[in-house]
Amino acid sequence: MLDFMAIWGQWLRPSAGLPTVQWSLLLAIAAVVGHLGQRHLALPKLVGYSAVGALAGWAGFSGAAWPLQGIGLFLLELGVSVVLFQTGGRIALRWFRHNPMVLLQSLLEAAFTYAAVYATLRWFDVRPAVADAVALVAIVSSPAVLSQVVSDTRGAGPVTERAIVLSALGALYALTVVAARAGLLNGGGETRLAGLLYPVLVVLGLSVVVGAVIALALRLALQTMNPASENTAILLVTTIAAGTALAAHFGGSAPLAALLAGLLLKQLHPRPWAWPRQLGMAASLLLMLSFLLVSVVAAQADWNPAVASTVLACVAARSVAKVAGVLLANPGSGTSWRQALGTGLAMAPLSSLALLLVSQVAVASPALGPRVAAIALPAILLMEVFGAILATFVIYQAGESSRAGDEALRG
Amino acid sequence: MPATAPAGAAPTLQPFGESRSLTLGVELELQLVNTHDYDLAPYADEMLRLMQRLDLPGAVVPEMTSSMIEVSTGICESAAHVLGELTQLRDGLVRCADKLNIAVVGGGTHPFQQWHQQRIYDRPRFRELSELYGYLSKQFTVFGQHVHLGCPSADAALLMLHRMSRYIPHCIALSASSPFVQGQDTQFDSARLNSVSAFPMSGRAPYTLAWTQFEAFFERATRTGVVRSMKDFYWDIRPKPEYGTIEIRVFDTPLTVERAAALAGFVQSLAAWFVHDEPFQPQEDDYLVYTYNRFQACRFGLEAVYVDPVSGRHLPLRDHLLQTLRQLAGHARHLGAGPAIQALAEDVELGTNDARWLRQRQAQERLLAEVVRQGAQRFAARR
Repeated sequence: MLDFMAIWGQWLRPSAGLPTVQWSLLLAIAAVVGHLGQRHLALPKLVGYSAVGALAGWAGFSGAAWPLQGIGLFLLELGVSVVLFQTGGRIALRWFRHNPMVLLQSLLEAAFTYAAVYATLRWFDVRPAVADAVALVAIVSSPAVLSQVVSDTRGAGPVTERAIVLSALGALYALTVVAARAGLLNGGGETRLAGLLYPVLVVLGLSVVVGAVIALALRLALQTMNPASENTAILLVTTIAAGTALAAHFGGSAPLAALLAGLLLKQLHPRPWAWPRQLGMAASLLLMLSFLLVSVVAAQADWNPAVASTVLACVAARSVAKVAGVLLANPGSGTSWRQALGTGLAMAPLSSLALLLVSQVAVASPALGPRVAAIALPAILLMEVFGAILATFVIYQAGESSRAGDEALRG
Repeated sequence: MPATAPAGAAPTLQPFGESRSLTLGVELELQLVNTHDYDLAPYADEMLRLMQRLDLPGAVVPEMTSSMIEVSTGICESAAHVLGELTQLRDGLVRCADKLNIAVVGGGTHPFQQWHQQRIYDRPRFRELSELYGYLSKQFTVFGQHVHLGCPSADAALLMLHRMSRYIPHCIALSASSPFVQGQDTQFDSARLNSVSAFPMSGRAPYTLAWTQFEAFFERATRTGVVRSMKDFYWDIRPKPEYGTIEIRVFDTPLTVERAAALAGFVQSLAAWFVHDEPFQPQEDDYLVYTYNRFQACRFGLEAVYVDPVSGRHLPLRDHLLQTLRQLAGHARHLGAGPAIQALAEDVELGTNDARWLRQRQAQERLLAEVVRQGAQRFAARR
């Protein structure tokens, strides 16, 4: 594969560089496979994208180096940021005043997930620092996978909505804590409280500032611009792109800034969010690229039977914990037990957000990074594929898909 | 897929029940929307479950698609009584919706929902109707107000029904709140009724003033196998034998419960006028202009032309409405509906109805989703 690439690289001198050609072709193949997989095997399109990415990664595709850096890292951050901005914009804080049980569901599922994954890894004799980092990453679900599945199934309803909101809250906790932990890992032998808190405050403070600036800029623009226009959608993506680059450059967390921007904008500007329909192609392409990137990178992990059992145990513990957390706080939350079970299961996917967190840990601690990645990367690839299938199944079972023939499928 | 409704036991028409003259019952079909992009949201099951736990008057039931819900009052004596019960129901709905992070909205149509994305509510009757009517059942995601009027006897009910028919355009124009369909301004004030017209058993009830003749008609209709119960008739006004009422079904769901109660007061005052003053006897020929008047009211609302069924004279519907409201004023005061009728008269003079409010909001906001959001706040009495 590498030899072939080298020969091709000498023969071809494209204006935009060989990686552009490689990624374009990979995207094209993924688009075809995703489409065919959905049409003939009734699999989510995302499974096709991941399969192509994983095969490319296993075959030695060199388009994405680990830990992520440069344009690859930026594109992944941008994809995650756009999704998190939109997801953050679904969270109306007043909902938690009317229904505090949803917040409790979120807190419980996050806490249970951390505890279950940490305990499982310790049972497998994994070092506490590694177990801690993997358990923190396990808190997140994938808003990107959920949004892709919801778009494919045209899902709408309490299970869909709650899974998305809980995944956004999980992202908020994990991004904050992992950014703080990564800051501490950079802090060397610091033991003073002020010294320990400083990196945390820098990351959070900068993310909040960048998030607020994005929110205020969009709030200002929306006073004169129509949210349903394409120009507003372009303004949105470019503002988030600039914010992403700035947050990362100044030492903040780009996805956290985008999530906070969405959340703040929703509170400052309670009018309907009309632009997702206009974002259309741009968001789809970014999402697809991030799914491919995740699977290409994750496939490069060191796959062996010893890791496999640890990963499978982690994934199982994580799923059980998420379901248990959502179920435990379900009474009084307005959904049935069946719906709560569905919500917990729909939060199984892992994808680009988890990869970013692992990348953050890998950059912060070159010693810890490879050990965390060895467990986290296979888990991410596994749960990108099976998580998407599970979430799709849950949405159909909950009767929340409005795709043609849905009623017929349900009998 | 069956070409007609499946055959079952021979259907019979229930005997006309007992009810006190001029009592009222109001049903409101309401929209459930998400609070993100304000599209319809399939939350009927969750709303029903939460509403069951509240101590409220009347009832809450599902409707054809899962983004709809229907609330109804109990038997009410007056418009004020209706308003009291609807206010309690509204407050309960808003509380449950807040808990689910959705909103409840009035209006005869959702301005931009896509009919093909709607899901039939999982109940045998709705599944059956969906199989029979195909896409029409999903296009029936429209929202109306039904007003039941108590009648002392079956014959009195038929007399009331045919008298009331002359005032169907008035009812349509006063309640019209469905100018937007599938994201477009239809140019109609009430586009909702066009969806109802697609059903084969829609339109007007047959002209008969004797219940025995109506029973004979029902028997002939059921013998064809096309009709199995009174529910299969989607008439503008139909007798409801089990309640002992007539049911007026042409109202779009208004944007507020205050308007819904005022419309019930209008119906009750009209009925009191018919009962006490007997201002005219209905004629079969009244129906010669019925469809034209109905169309005018749907299309132009309060700006419609009204053709007097007796003289054939064309006059502005607004003038006829104001004249009617003046004639009713005494009865309305007696029934405690004076303020409601006065409020309707002021709106008629100004030419304002809910359809106009929706168009004005859209002209200002240029975003139908924002119009829905403001409609939800208006329904919840938060602005």
